[in-house]
Amino acid sequence: MSRYDVNVVLYRLKKDAAFRTRFVAEPAAALARADLTDEERDAFVRWDIRRLNELGGSLHLLVSIPRLGGH
Amino acid sequence: MGTIVYAAAMSHVLAPDYYGKNVGPHGRAMVEDLIEVVKGMGRELLATRPDALVVVADDHLNVFSFDAVPALCVRIGRTVERMVQEDAIEFDRALDGLPERYPLHEDLANRILEEGMEAGFDFAASWSAPLDHAFLSPVSVLCGERPVPPLVPVWVNCFVAPQPTARRCFEAGRHIARVIADSPWRVAVIATGGLSHFPSLSVTRVGTSDPAFDRRLIAAMEAGDHEMLRALPMKELHETGSHELLNWMVLLGAVSPARARVRFFGEMGRIDLAALEWMLP
Repeated sequence: MSRYDVNVVLYRLKKDAAFRTRFVAEPAAALARADLTDEERDAFVRWDIRRLNELGGSLHLLVSIPRLGGH
Repeated sequence: MGTIVYAAAMSHVLAPDYYGKNVGPHGRAMVEDLIEVVKGMGRELLATRPDALVVVADDHLNVFSFDAVPALCVRIGRTVERMVQEDAIEFDRALDGLPERYPLHEDLANRILEEGMEAGFDFAASWSAPLDHAFLSPVSVLCGERPVPPLVPVWVNCFVAPQPTARRCFEAGRHIARVIADSPWRVAVIATGGLSHFPSLSVTRVGTSDPAFDRRLIAAMEAGDHEMLRALPMKELHETGSHELLNWMVLLGAVSPARARVRFFGEMGRIDLAALEWMLP
């Protein structure tokens, strides 16, 4: 279920500081093992929160990830 | 016989810096006015000397992940901790100076849970969920420096579709009222959140609200028109950004048919702020 996988990554970005640091440095490498479609992966790598939201990403996660979210 | 001695609902980001930054001086001024009103409500709440304070609020994906999303959840146990999160969003960081732990009213929480199972309300139970701003921002303003009554936190899934219906939340509130009536305790009940903001939970609509819809909601609460509110479909709540009304629906079920009195209503643009109390028999 795609919406689930997008939100699992977002939740981990919010809660797991080490994962978040890896993602900021090398987004594609940090997501190598994540279960995402190409489109979802691309939106994460570009950090396109509008697209991630359209793909089912929770607004409340998107705006509350430290240093990445904007509220 | 137990009694609901005080009932109110209010916005739950009582953080002037947040609105100052995201909306501007008029946002800051509006929430500062609201805070003064809520402080006064807190004095009235505590003057009723409640044995317990039920707080109905929602999770902002702070506590429950997508691995399990309880429609309705009761916090049980003896104490509850304030959420501590590294680099938390600013209005959760604003809770940093508050106590780290709060007492729970274990017996009332257990009765709501256990009698719920008998009555057809399968509340989830959590022994560990901490409280974020949705609970502690209003509670800390209401109580100020005075002791916080033993809490019964109740979470409603407002944001992860499919949510419980407005009607179901209202019925859950009726259940809570029956449990209180059959208990020996004096209980205050508050619901938090709202009003309209984040329509459709869309990034592109952050910063807008639906004041016309909110005025309708408030008018229905003042008139005691609970059937109109119960019948609101989730689609309409979603499109108007009224997700957190589900918390208020639990409160309405608990106090119905009481009518509300508006203590504060303000249209900020980004969100509409409100504080209402119910005139109890």
